[in-house]
Amino acid sequence: MTGQQHLDEPTNFLYPFIDGNERDSGALLADLATSASLKAAESAALRRSTLQSCSALVESAGAEMARRFATGGRLFTFGNGGSSTDAATLAALFAQPPASEPLPAWSLTADQAVLTALGNDVGFDLVFARQLIARAQAADIAIAMSTSGNSADLLLAMREAHGRGLYTIGFTGYDGGAFVQNSDVDVCFVVRSQSVHRIQESQALLGYQLWSAVHMQRGLQ
Amino acid sequence: MTSAAHTDMTLDLAMDLAQASFTLAQRFSTGATMWCIAPACSPHAQHIAVEFVHPVVVGKRALPAVALTGADLVGQVRLSARAGDVVIACAGAGDPDVSAVMQRAAAWGVTTIWIGNGERPPIGAADHVLWLDDPDPTLAATGEFVLMYHLLWELTHVCFEHPGLLTSSPSVCTDEVCITCSDEGRPAEVLATAPGGTASVRTAQGEEDVVTVLAGALFPGDLVLVHAGMVISKLKEV
Repeated sequence: MTGQQHLDEPTNFLYPFIDGNERDSGALLADLATSASLKAAESAALRRSTLQSCSALVESAGAEMARRFATGGRLFTFGNGGSSTDAATLAALFAQPPASEPLPAWSLTADQAVLTALGNDVGFDLVFARQLIARAQAADIAIAMSTSGNSADLLLAMREAHGRGLYTIGFTGYDGGAFVQNSDVDVCFVVRSQSVHRIQESQALLGYQLWSAVHMQRGLQ
Repeated sequence: MTSAAHTDMTLDLAMDLAQASFTLAQRFSTGATMWCIAPACSPHAQHIAVEFVHPVVVGKRALPAVALTGADLVGQVRLSARAGDVVIACAGAGDPDVSAVMQRAAAWGVTTIWIGNGERPPIGAADHVLWLDDPDPTLAATGEFVLMYHLLWELTHVCFEHPGLLTSSPSVCTDEVCITCSDEGRPAEVLATAPGGTASVRTAQGEEDVVTVLAGALFPGDLVLVHAGMVISKLKEV
């Protein structure tokens, strides 16, 4: 199935029997395809500019993470909603990479018993901070993924992590929110966009670059 | 470093996304639930589900999407999906669970969308294949799949602004010889066999009792072709 064929014969594959609608759904499909191309180009441009503006920060953060992994440090990632899944994908990239050496990393949303126990008993704002109190050690690393940088549960977790000596990395979007110029956040990656979707796409690539930088550094050590 | 972010989306992929979104909007309009699976990277299944259930754009409809994770995904989808539903998978072409689900989709009457990269699934393996050719196994962690299902969500909601186009069912017969109406070899999955050469099977139209004497030994989960109340052959699974 080629796209061009469908553009030329817009409705053959769907509604060859409804003449009145034929042109309309074809026009919609063409519009949708154009929109997909434009949004994908916008996403790619944002990812390119984000990588460029963050490249020095990625290098230095990767070096510090590699130093900590080398001394027994471990990585905890967390976020809310879609960002929690992106944080889980990042933890899995560190812990179960397809070909590289695995490094100890966990997503703090993985256990629904712990999440709901904390949410119910001490409040949702503490679901990550309390897990760090129980698990984290000074050599560890915390990565919080957010599109706003303003989520209370993430800010409290970063305060707890930083107070315990963890290396804290914040991913955020828009203008950075409360992650910016925050003494609890050692490194802050801001994806400058107004779209939650485009921000998350760039953050995923930044996380991937961070993982690459860590392995590059470990190769040098 | 992966090169994916430095290449533009192909026109073919953009059109595939457009068609998948249009179909998805049609299915949601007729009451479908979307079941999301990603055996090797379950966070993608959960991201897709949360995207549709709790949209980031205020005012957009919440749509029924559910991530299935954990053991026996084939069994989970078999139990969960009803005829008219949608299954979306994020997985490589060689994933055995996703392959088994996709091959059963016609028997279950569900529409399928398959997101992945590297070697492509066989032609026709899913109704909509949204694929990147870059074989890098770490591509799943670069945001490329996230972009793909974000666009699926965004375009699906554009389709809702065209309600007139969402009402007709594309499954209505239009061919001169309609495979469904002439009962010409419909796919089915064996539910249970009975002594005396009969079995109950699941098809897109529901549960049926069929004669199996032509097919040899059958077991629950086997895929077969049914014609005029008879199993005429067992389908080989890829």
